[in-house]
Amino acid sequence: MATIATSLNIVPQRAIITSKTQPARLTCPVRLNNPWNLASRATNRMVNFRPVKATPEGVISDKVEKSIKDAEETCAGDPVSGECVAAWDEVEELSAAASHARDKKKADGSDPLEEYCKDNPETNECRTYDN
Amino acid sequence: MAVSTIYSTQALNSTHFLTSSPSSSTKQVFFYRRNTNRRFNTIITCAAQQTVVIGLAADSGCGKSTFMRRLTSVFGGAAEPPKGGNPDSNTLISDMTTVICLDDYHSLDRTGRKEKGVTALDPRANDFDLMYEQVKALKSGIAVEKPIYNHVTGLLDAPELIQPPKILVIEGLHPMFDERVRDLLDFSIYLDISNEVKFAWKIQRDMAERGHSLESIKASIEARKPDFDAFIDPQKQYADAVIEVLPTQLIPDDNEGKVLRVRLIMKEGVKYFSPVYLFDEGSTISWIPCGRKLTCSYPGIKFNYQPDSYFDNEVSVVEMDGQFDRLDELIYVESHLSNLSTKFYGEVTQQMLKHADFPGSNNGTGLFQTIVGLKIRDLYEQLIANKSTAPSEAAKA
Repeated sequence: MATIATSLNIVPQRAIITSKTQPARLTCPVRLNNPWNLASRATNRMVNFRPVKATPEGVISDKVEKSIKDAEETCAGDPVSGECVAAWDEVEELSAAASHARDKKKADGSDPLEEYCKDNPETNECRTYDN
Repeated sequence: MAVSTIYSTQALNSTHFLTSSPSSSTKQVFFYRRNTNRRFNTIITCAAQQTVVIGLAADSGCGKSTFMRRLTSVFGGAAEPPKGGNPDSNTLISDMTTVICLDDYHSLDRTGRKEKGVTALDPRANDFDLMYEQVKALKSGIAVEKPIYNHVTGLLDAPELIQPPKILVIEGLHPMFDERVRDLLDFSIYLDISNEVKFAWKIQRDMAERGHSLESIKASIEARKPDFDAFIDPQKQYADAVIEVLPTQLIPDDNEGKVLRVRLIMKEGVKYFSPVYLFDEGSTISWIPCGRKLTCSYPGIKFNYQPDSYFDNEVSVVEMDGQFDRLDELIYVESHLSNLSTKFYGEVTQQMLKHADFPGSNNGTGLFQTIVGLKIRDLYEQLIANKSTAPSEAAKA
C-alpha cells in the first residue's frame, strides 16, 4: 500500500480553485415561494437569476476555437514537429470535451428545475400528484 | 504476503477457531472446529467481492461512451458521475459497474505535453505504474484514490475515492498497452474504426463547433495518425473481441458513410467466452435475410460468418453490412444468430430498442456492442459462479 502512496505523490497535483461545495449543476438560486413566511417575501424580492459564471459549453467552444488557431499557427512553421502534433491533439481533446458537454446538456434537458428535482423529488416544488 | 491470523471464539460454546486465508487475494474466512473426535472440519467460506475487470480501447470520438452506456444498461441501471464530487470527473458509477477513464492516468497535463511536444497517445504522457497499481488494488477489493484529469482545463485535479465495484471497466487509449495491466483484464475489447468512417464521424461531431472546418478536422486526424498507428493500433492483437467498422460494400461508390459494414472478430479459446455464430459453428456462411419472409428497404442487410486468422490468433468473424429499418428485421436476425448469451428470446432487440436514440442503433455497431455487452454479463456470471465454487472444492479435496 505504501507503493500506491508514493506513486500518487509523483503526480503533480494542481487543484483548480473552484467552489466545489456548491453543486455545479444549479446555476441559479432556487426561489422558494412560501407565502406564509414573511421573511422569504422580503429576501426573495432582490434575488437575481443571472448565472454566476459563463456556461460550460461557451467556455469549451471558445477553447476549441482558440486551440485551432494555435495549432494552425504552430504548424505553419514546421508541419512535422512534436509541437504541431501536440497542438492538433489538443484540438481533438477539446472537440471531444465540447461534444460530450453538448450531449450532456441535451440529455439533461437544460432545465434547472428538472435537474434540481432529479436530486430532490420530495421538495414542494417537485412533488407530483397523480390522483 | 502471507498473513494468517488465528482467533479463538469462546462465544460459540465449543472450541472453534477461525483463520483468515493465507492467500490475501481472496480474503476468505475459514471456520474450524477443534474437535478431535470428528475427523472432518466444517468450513464456511465467505469470499470477498470478486471484481471482474474489462478493458475497452478506442481512439477518441469513436463510440466508447455509447458502448459504455449500452454495457451498463445490460447490467441494469444508468451509470452516472459520482455524486457530490468533482463535476468534471470522468468516472461513471452504477450499481454493478464502475467505468474508469484511463485519461486520469496522464502523467503530463496539457501544458506539460505541449512543452514536450508529445500527444496524449504517447506512452510517455501516461503513468502506467500507477495504472497497474490501482487496477490491481481495485481488483483485489481495495478502494483507491484515483487522480482526475480534467478535460476542460487540461489539468490534473485532486484525486477521488473509488470503491471496488463488481465490474470494473477501464476505457481509454491504452488499456492493453502495458503488459501487467493486460494480465489483469478478464476481457478486452478494441473498437477499430477505419479511416473513412472515422473522418465521417468526426465531421458529424465537430462541424457544429465554430472554428472547425473540414481542413482543420482533416489536419487533426492526419497529425495524430503516426502516434495512433505506433501506440494504439497494435493493441488490437491482444483484444479478445474487436469491433471493426468499415464503409459499406452494398452501395457502390458510397461516400456518405451512413450505411456501415461492421465486423465482430472474436478470439477463440478465451475462458468463459463462447463466440457468436450463424447456423453452424466453424463453417463459412453468407446470409441475406431479405427475401420472401422478410422484406427490407434499400440497401438491405447482408451477413457473413466465417472462421479466420487475425494476427496469428484463431478467430470467428460475424459481419453485418447494411441497416435495420424495422423492428421485425431486428428480431428476425436475432432469432437466427446462435450463442448470444441472452436470458430470454428477444433480449438483444429489447436492449437495442431501449436505446434507439443512441448512434448506431440501426446498424451493426449497436447490434454488436449489445451482443458484446451480453457476452460480458455471461462471462461475469460464470466467473462469479466459478470463484465461489472453487474454494469449497478445494476444501473437500
